[in-house]
Amino acid sequence: MKHPLTNNYRLLGFYAIFWATIGTINLVLQLLWYNVPLSYSLLDTGTNYVLYPLLGSSIWYSIRYSNLEEVSIGRLIIFHLIAASILCGIWVYISYAIYKPFVKDNDFLNNGLPPKIFLGYIMYVIYLVFFYAVNYYESLKEKIKKESEYKALIREAELQALKSQINPHFLFNSLNSISSLTVSNPEKAQEMVINLSSLMRYSLMHNQKEMVSFSRELENIKLYLGIEKVRFGKKLNAEFEIDAHCLEAEIPNMILQPIYENAIKYGVYETTDQVTIKTCCMCDGNILKINIVNDYDASTIKRRGEGIGLRNIRKRMEIIYNNPDLIKITDNKTSFEVQLVIPQKQAVS
Amino acid sequence: MSEKLQTLIIEDEELARNLLRSYLKDHPDIEIIGECENGFDGVKAINENKPDLVFLDIQMPKITGFEMIELLDYKPQIIFTTAYDQYALKAFELNAVDYLLKPFSKDRLLAAIEKVKHRILNEEDNTEKLEELSNFRPGEDFIDRVVVKDRHKIHIITVDQIRYIESLDDYVMIYTNDGRHMKQKTMKYFETYLDPKNFIRIHRSYIVQVDNIAEIQQYEKEAYIVILKDKDKTKLKVSKTGYKKIKEVLHF
Repeated sequence: MKHPLTNNYRLLGFYAIFWATIGTINLVLQLLWYNVPLSYSLLDTGTNYVLYPLLGSSIWYSIRYSNLEEVSIGRLIIFHLIAASILCGIWVYISYAIYKPFVKDNDFLNNGLPPKIFLGYIMYVIYLVFFYAVNYYESLKEKIKKESEYKALIREAELQALKSQINPHFLFNSLNSISSLTVSNPEKAQEMVINLSSLMRYSLMHNQKEMVSFSRELENIKLYLGIEKVRFGKKLNAEFEIDAHCLEAEIPNMILQPIYENAIKYGVYETTDQVTIKTCCMCDGNILKINIVNDYDASTIKRRGEGIGLRNIRKRMEIIYNNPDLIKITDNKTSFEVQLVIPQKQAVS
Repeated sequence: MSEKLQTLIIEDEELARNLLRSYLKDHPDIEIIGECENGFDGVKAINENKPDLVFLDIQMPKITGFEMIELLDYKPQIIFTTAYDQYALKAFELNAVDYLLKPFSKDRLLAAIEKVKHRILNEEDNTEKLEELSNFRPGEDFIDRVVVKDRHKIHIITVDQIRYIESLDDYVMIYTNDGRHMKQKTMKYFETYLDPKNFIRIHRSYIVQVDNIAEIQQYEKEAYIVILKDKDKTKLKVSKTGYKKIKEVLHF
């Protein structure tokens, strides 16, 4: 840590004004009350309240390198005693070197020595307390700052983790479909490679941007469903009912992907019949409502309600909007419904 | 080998089936005798046609490739195909069967067939290893369902339908609201893979669904029975440790 007086000009100003005030009071008292000659009084005040504060600012370094918690009390006392003696010696020596040309009165010099040395030690203690207080305050400030930085980092990391990644099961199955198409239908294979690339590019991009337009997210979902449609053929049927003016709404990116992945996993994977995934959207003032319903075969699976994908969405929405109730899940036994409410900064009209 | 391997493809995705077929088309030792799109048809086809070799997808509608193994009367050589799952490691480890990770090359497929031919020549029996594989569940997940076969019909029992399970030597009898189903599995398997919050092993011979317990009666000092919520008011014995477990789960 830097020296607080050179690092913080306000503190330096306060330090200077404080000692100037004390020095002036001392000067006035000596002149008017004790009738000390002006030259003596100036010398005394100058050495005590100008020279000492200059030398004393170095006490900062002695407390920086003798941390209260790391050093035992005995060592600390000895350390400061030595430091105080050295500082005091230097200060008294310089003071007397200044006095010499001006003061001819030997009594003044001799009688003044013990109180001067005593004052030197007392001042050392005052400085010590002052610098310890400054040090404590600065470390506290730094700690609070670090803590808030750390919290922001954790929040960021949490958000990253909650965002959906491309599901490896989906990726490898799609690659297998492409592998098959290269034999039977190379043009379709090429189309699928391009679609898969766009999808992956979108999911990589989401690391940089938190919010996207609903139309952009929807485009991505259609791309995803298109790829799955190549795998599942007629088994997968996707329907969209979107209010055109909702498209401008803002939405956290990749927030919808896990819902569709679930619909495919529990709906399409598990049945031999056709499954419809229906998406309805409407805007109402400052909110965008998205409703996604898929049918599923209740005889083969027991849905456990909120899986990890949906839990992540809830968590992410909670972090972004500070509200844990923006996702609603309904199991109708033959269909599964997820409703998202996404608050908008500006009313969508 | 003089005769061709009678081969069955069980795979739900058309494109994946097409690829396998095109890889196998010119193979001198393979004759494809059929293709199935789901596990139900797969079980039937294997039991009826007794193929030498089966290409089996794991993730399929209705029942998975692993659940299928439990239902087979006849165990052919199996090459699993899968895109990505936690079973892969276990299957490799057991070396019971070969495993093709999608997408796979033709060379990789041919190597797997060579291995199978070698195994058939040496008359290696893979029944035990297949059983071990079908008892394996990755992660700490509990099972959602049990598949059983009565004569020629396959039933999928979701765990919430299970009322209680009784042990019968090497088999267990699973009691549901519609009747009972026999299955070749151990009590240990069900004790491990049914959620202990809902199912309690109350006795060496019984696992009971908690919600199905009507009352617990003491009939002797330190001897209890549970009475179930059904028409017949079925009574089941409770062991000492079983009673402790009931107390833990029901908090009394």
